[in-house]
Amino acid sequence: MTNTNEFINHLASKLGRPTPTETPPPVEISVPQYRLSNTEERASIFLQNWQALGGKGAIVKSENDMLQCLKEWFGDLPITWFKDNPQALIAWDMLPSIAESAFSTLNWPLTRYTQSSLDPRDRYSIAAHAELGITGSDLGIALSGTIVMNSDPLRGRVVSLLPPRHLAFIETTKIRNNLFEVLEEISALGTPPAAIEMISGPSRTSDIEMDLSIGVHGPIEVYVVVIDN
Amino acid sequence: MTMFNLTTDQRVDKALANNFLRQATRRATDRLRNNKYKASDELGNWEEWRNAGETIRKHVIANLDFYLHQLIEQMEQRGVHVHLAKTPADAVGIVRNIVREHDAKNVLKSKSMISEEIHLNHALEEDGAAVVETDLGEYIIQIAGEPPSHIIVPAMHKTRQQVADLFEPIAGHALSSDTPTLTRFARIQMREQFLRGDIGITGCNFAVANTGSIVMVTNEGNGRMVSTLPRVQITLMGMERIVPSFRELDIMLNLLARSATGQRLSSYTTILTPPKKSADSDGPEEYHLVILDHNRSEILGDKLFRTALNCIRCGACFNVCPVYRQLGGHAYGSVYSGPIGSVITPLLEKDWKKWGHLPYFSSLCGACTEGCPVRIPLHDLLVKLRMRKTQSGHTPQVEQQIFKAYRYLFTREKTLRRALRLGAHLQRPFVRNHRITGGPPPLSNWTKSRTLPMVAPKPFMQIWADLNNKR
Repeated sequence: MTNTNEFINHLASKLGRPTPTETPPPVEISVPQYRLSNTEERASIFLQNWQALGGKGAIVKSENDMLQCLKEWFGDLPITWFKDNPQALIAWDMLPSIAESAFSTLNWPLTRYTQSSLDPRDRYSIAAHAELGITGSDLGIALSGTIVMNSDPLRGRVVSLLPPRHLAFIETTKIRNNLFEVLEEISALGTPPAAIEMISGPSRTSDIEMDLSIGVHGPIEVYVVVIDN
Repeated sequence: MTMFNLTTDQRVDKALANNFLRQATRRATDRLRNNKYKASDELGNWEEWRNAGETIRKHVIANLDFYLHQLIEQMEQRGVHVHLAKTPADAVGIVRNIVREHDAKNVLKSKSMISEEIHLNHALEEDGAAVVETDLGEYIIQIAGEPPSHIIVPAMHKTRQQVADLFEPIAGHALSSDTPTLTRFARIQMREQFLRGDIGITGCNFAVANTGSIVMVTNEGNGRMVSTLPRVQITLMGMERIVPSFRELDIMLNLLARSATGQRLSSYTTILTPPKKSADSDGPEEYHLVILDHNRSEILGDKLFRTALNCIRCGACFNVCPVYRQLGGHAYGSVYSGPIGSVITPLLEKDWKKWGHLPYFSSLCGACTEGCPVRIPLHDLLVKLRMRKTQSGHTPQVEQQIFKAYRYLFTREKTLRRALRLGAHLQRPFVRNHRITGGPPPLSNWTKSRTLPMVAPKPFMQIWADLNNKR
């Protein structure tokens, strides 16, 4: 076990000068960043890129659109799942209100992840046995078809990870052009949350003979509803 | 690890005789390289991105002491246990202690090249812990007991049938060798392990100094599992793997994902700022960061080779290297293969006897330097390493004698002429169609796989003199 000062001083001696006492001036960076002209365009490019990665997605303008879209994707499956497993639909404590009311109208009973059990191991097991994990998103990236989620006591990181299907909601106004804008916005908030998860499509691997295979560990099916508010 | 017991020549012969390996390596590197071209072209001006990447890496390395100190302070303020390891043995000892203290039986690992570098799994298994590699490729080579053959696609050298054969004893029944079946088997098998894990060990693609964050990218989602489910997490990090802030992280993540697999971003990019907040429902309660030196500080102090620390481990140099393409990774004999492995292994391990062959695993064509997203002059470093090796006196006696003879002849005109005439005479038995074939050692080392141009019957100096006489 080496002591910090000793370790750092050793590096300074290798660099042939004492360790700077102030943050070195940041390097200048100038790269051509990807930009789109408006929210509508960002939403549509985001969706295209998400779909190109193998995710399903739709832009909805009303609760009616939302109902149709959910019915089209899942049909009566949630009801069937529920019969076998009352905790088949596992969700964050709070979802966008239009999504909450769509679930009540459809009568799909959601289990709130953080309240599902007091013991974290039990909660993980509940999420692992669920059929669908339902989350919101904090930000999105149009260029890479990415949703960004910050950890939070009312959420649960595994809701977007353990179930075989992940359904996320994102408002069009939360979609940014590129990763730079997202990171800039997050760093403006001060200390980052314990985990920032950026998800671009389903879990994938090409480890066996470079053959693309979907869903080795994370969700196999990923869905995003873009809410045009 | 049988590969490690062979000599360099034996490993090379074995690789060259393995048609599947060579075909698979070609196919995989072609695919990865073409994906990279697509992903880098669409950015608009890749060269500007490379410039930015190079500038950032150089800045970080030139101020590594400052940023590392900042990272450690940030981490410790929040209650992360930071451990500094001078040597691989120190790092293994630190991890071993943590595992013992928690009496951990199930250790989950996501991909970490540092863990390969320090040969961690073996030590933990000796202590009685079950260590599970959760990256599909790493899982396959763990069962096979082999080192990775590519930094991004570690099981590139395995056929699907070999993978099925490796999985069958675990499954307890026959498995078909199609990819969905094999992937599904790994998913089910690993699921149970994930939920049982006591300690998670991850690697670290980047550490953000001013926020004290660890950034990890995976495509499978195993990195998220390992960093979320177990109660205790250990992150292993090479000490150079730093960016100053989120601003620079943008550039590095773009360069990494695009250069490694041609993706705009990897499927899962996770930024951890541990430990979890007390009210958070998920995530490890105890977090350890192990920072490894292992002669990186020596490289830092060596101006000739300092740029080797700029590497972001994307594997782009593997995918353009004509030598890697022919041999795959195991022929190198080292944990890090490909051009960057040939550069850093001799520097990290400081053992010319064992690793002196690596700087010669290159045609010096420079494709690696072209391909590097942070512009490390790899082929240049390989030449300089050859120089270092020669200076250290580790080149074979024969080679030393040949170069002495070369110097002797080329500094004495008359003797050189005489030698050339003698050569023209001596070569006769070996000349076929104006090329030298066969011959005794050391000549035969060259001629067993190619030919040499013959010594001209009339030397150039003679032709020149004759031309002058005719005038």
